[in-house]
Amino acid sequence: MDVFIQIVASGLTLGAMYAVATVGLSLVYGSLNMLNMAHGAILTLGGYLCYAGIQHLGLHPALALAGAAALCAVVGLLIYLGAALPLLRAEGFETNVFIATIGIGSILENLMLRGFGPYPIPQPLAVPGHVVLGNVHVPLQNLFILGVAVVLMSAVAFVLERTRTGRAIRATSMNREAAQLMGVRVGRVYAQVLAVSGALAAVSGVMISSIATLSPVMGGDPMLKAFIVCVVAGLGNVYGAVVAAIVLGLLEAATQYILGVRWSFATLLLIVILVLIWRPYGLFGRTQVVRL
Amino acid sequence: MAEPVLAIRDLAAGYDGRRVLDGVDLVVPAARLTAIIGPNGHGKSTLLKAISGLVRVSAGTIALRGERIDGLRPDQIVERGVIQVPQGDLLFPGMTVLDNLLMGAYRQDAARDAGARLDMVFALLPKLKERRHQIAGTLSGGERRMCGIGRGLMAGEGLLMLDEPSLGLAPIVIDQIYEVIFDLCAAGRTILLVEENAQRITERADSIHLLDNGRFVWSGIGAELMARPEIIEAYLGA
Repeated sequence: MDVFIQIVASGLTLGAMYAVATVGLSLVYGSLNMLNMAHGAILTLGGYLCYAGIQHLGLHPALALAGAAALCAVVGLLIYLGAALPLLRAEGFETNVFIATIGIGSILENLMLRGFGPYPIPQPLAVPGHVVLGNVHVPLQNLFILGVAVVLMSAVAFVLERTRTGRAIRATSMNREAAQLMGVRVGRVYAQVLAVSGALAAVSGVMISSIATLSPVMGGDPMLKAFIVCVVAGLGNVYGAVVAAIVLGLLEAATQYILGVRWSFATLLLIVILVLIWRPYGLFGRTQVVRL
Repeated sequence: MAEPVLAIRDLAAGYDGRRVLDGVDLVVPAARLTAIIGPNGHGKSTLLKAISGLVRVSAGTIALRGERIDGLRPDQIVERGVIQVPQGDLLFPGMTVLDNLLMGAYRQDAARDAGARLDMVFALLPKLKERRHQIAGTLSGGERRMCGIGRGLMAGEGLLMLDEPSLGLAPIVIDQIYEVIFDLCAAGRTILLVEENAQRITERADSIHLLDNGRFVWSGIGAELMARPEIIEAYLGA
């Protein structure tokens, strides 16, 4: 029983972090068909900005977190204006923007290397203490991460389902031309989605660095996992991504306990391969059926 | 005569340098049913897309109540009251019927009284009320068409453009759809209708324009068209 609680507690924390990192990626792919390869770098940037806010500016941790999210939203907006928007006018958008964002990610990473150095730094945003469940000590930090993730996911779901803006985002991702015929300004939807994705990446970067450490390349692993989650869920399926993230988090925690840490990534990839053989468009992916 | 709702002059448009329309002139008067007929692949849908701003206009002008709209973004054109129900419906397949209809009322001034519009659409298309919580992708062909038209009506007043509303439907369903369209005409809506099947509309359309190879080759009223069997035979193969 204790082992079970342990696995669930750390699995849910992992899953929550993956979910926050993935939702932004999935939203962007869903509405623009754009794989944002700079997502990991934005995530890292969020972690560093929060660190700098607390350590160098003496901000309240909550304020530093919000500031990091806001600045990374601006970075997302700049990626739209500087890379996506000009590339949308030409042929081969998906490939071009893929390569362009790899470049942007690499620039961001090198800027952070210059600014903060190559050595790991602890994230000062930490919630001390723990609660005891059975014989297991669950750090409050984990519960804090879970709580933030639940709040953010609920907010994203509310906006997507209940607001005019959210409906326009969903409409654009389902049928761009039809959305335009309804009067949706798709350029604005793209900008909104990239900004939201940037903010979510920042928050997940802060959370991940708070249980690991900050380093310029820390975004790589969560981004890879986020891609895996996206693919397993079906690219662009936001709700599927949340479910898949949590399941993969739990699975990773279980594998780490049962088989050892070195098997966790291999197991993850094995599951992805099996899922894709079984359902090539992802677990929750939809095949577009065109009926006339 | 009052100012027409839509006036197109010497329009040329196409895709990637391939001209589909060349030298198209068209006037759509208010509160009338204007129909465009013609064989497949000769530019009927391209013309509607050019009016909606989805296809770039390379020459000529499109004016809405005297104000030019060519060169505007699609959302700006919709905002001015040019509403298109596209060919093949292009519903939002993962949304409920209700959300699809609400997307129709996305326009600023349509969003304000979306509730009243929704009642109007449900009164006109009662089937949609029954199905309002169903996911649009699971509707039957006729229901999808009704959802597409209902979504267009949610956008409120203005020019309503319908692209082949009978396409791919069973004859009995086509009759139902056209009943709705003729009701709208009787209520004084300005409609621009694209239809391949000329017989359906010859009696009801106020004017008919035959589009062939990117330009209008004949215009008139239905009775005149029926009196010219050689035109129907040559262009419409019926």
